[in-house]
Amino acid sequence: MSGQPISEENEPVFFHPDLFVVPTDGKAPYLLGYKCEDCGKVWFPKLDICPECWTNVKQINLSRTGKLCSYSIIHVGQRGIKSPYAVGYVDFPENVRIYAQLAIPHEKIKLGMDVEVIEGVVRLDKSGNPAMKSYMFKAVE
Amino acid sequence: MREVYVIGVGMTPFGKFPDRPYYDLGKEAVVKAVKDANVDKREIQAGYVGNVKAGMAPGQKVFKTLGMTGMQIVNVENACSSGQTALNLAYTAIASGQYDMVMAVGCENLTGGRTSGEALAPDQDDIEGILGNVMPAIYGMRAKKYMEVYGATPEDLALVAVKNHKHSSLNPYAQFRNLVTVEEVLASRMVAEPFTLLQCCPIADGAAAAVVCSKEKMQQLGAKGVKINASILVSGLFKNQSSDLTVPEITQRASRLAYEMSGIGPEDINMVECHDAFTIAEFLYYETLGFCRKGEAASFIRSGAAELGGKHVFSVRGGLLCMGHPLGATGVAQTVEAVWQLRGQAGDRQIQGAKTAMIHITGGGVAGMDNAACGVHIFTV
Repeated sequence: MSGQPISEENEPVFFHPDLFVVPTDGKAPYLLGYKCEDCGKVWFPKLDICPECWTNVKQINLSRTGKLCSYSIIHVGQRGIKSPYAVGYVDFPENVRIYAQLAIPHEKIKLGMDVEVIEGVVRLDKSGNPAMKSYMFKAVE
Repeated sequence: MREVYVIGVGMTPFGKFPDRPYYDLGKEAVVKAVKDANVDKREIQAGYVGNVKAGMAPGQKVFKTLGMTGMQIVNVENACSSGQTALNLAYTAIASGQYDMVMAVGCENLTGGRTSGEALAPDQDDIEGILGNVMPAIYGMRAKKYMEVYGATPEDLALVAVKNHKHSSLNPYAQFRNLVTVEEVLASRMVAEPFTLLQCCPIADGAAAAVVCSKEKMQQLGAKGVKINASILVSGLFKNQSSDLTVPEITQRASRLAYEMSGIGPEDINMVECHDAFTIAEFLYYETLGFCRKGEAASFIRSGAAELGGKHVFSVRGGLLCMGHPLGATGVAQTVEAVWQLRGQAGDRQIQGAKTAMIHITGGGVAGMDNAACGVHIFTV
């Protein structure tokens, strides 16, 4: 299901349903974290049990914005992604750090800036058409 | 636990040899090491062979046409730390009394059958890999954070490449032996910011091997070995919480264990081979291994301390940056360099009076971990 390049209808595949919610009513998308019922640590991506406690985790909605911890602009990157592309680590108030591509003009990216989660195209097919959509971050206006 | 010594070493030059399979390179290293040890190959009781990409039973292919199979062979994969993992297994086999003489080998061929121009990425079922992450960017993010917090400049980072090229120009085994300037380093093609091509370690093929034995065996042979004072291997801690990108926790833990095990501290160490896969890495390791204070890496390299002639020479063989990084081989190649230096056999790149050496290796991009594994060894004569 997730991770396969193209479906019959040439619709980009949506990655990742148990981590990222794009509401059908047009409300803003958000990421899902998995919070341990014992120690309270939040894990992302999805885990079935907490690595520390081995107890159950419960799904929580993460805050929509976080702070950019650091970033890099990749010039020699992976096939299927148009170079150069920006990637970064974002720290959320729930104390979880998430990696994603950044939909921010490269010269505007600053460490510590506030960023907000959106849906975007993360991979292209051989013809340059969208092949995969997922979460990424844009600057908070 | 018994005392353990390295009594023979050998390696191939590192470079691009697409027509030489990993086992062919491995064989060359094994023969050189056994001859250097001046022992009968039939007295070798086990072989630990580091290799990442070759798949099933690579060690057997190295040893079989040397007439050395039948003994215990362990094939070792631990990402970039495979070679020091092999050495750690060899060390433990001797120290525990299981065997009296064994070999640690590392061999890798990355160029045969590989499409060039693509950066190594985390595993394709790794969420960060799927979303486009590559190793140079992982280190790039550490570099940008370091530069923001401590004010290091691109020129400061470039000094690592300049220094390591100075060293490798004296090393006949190195892949790249040309001198480079700061300007040339910064003008080379951008890979992942802030790293230009000359700040990233190149792909390479190569092999290295070491003969390791007990003190008793060494004395019985009348050999003069290099002592292994610390042999440490750890894995990265998995966490999704925020952490300081400028503190490589896996290196911090592994090096502390090595200092404890050996009773030796950074002040005593003349030579360090570390995991300089990218220029920022050497900066972070100057600090985390305890050779200078946090934030002072730029001053440390500018002082000349890390260069041939300085107090704690880093990457005297040229490091990963100039040797290249044949994944399974590097940890054992670092061992070979340490032994040559401590024996006084390092030719033009000899560190005068070298008595204590440290090797460090880490790597393996796994989401949620600093790195997959980290090896640290300390040697003395």
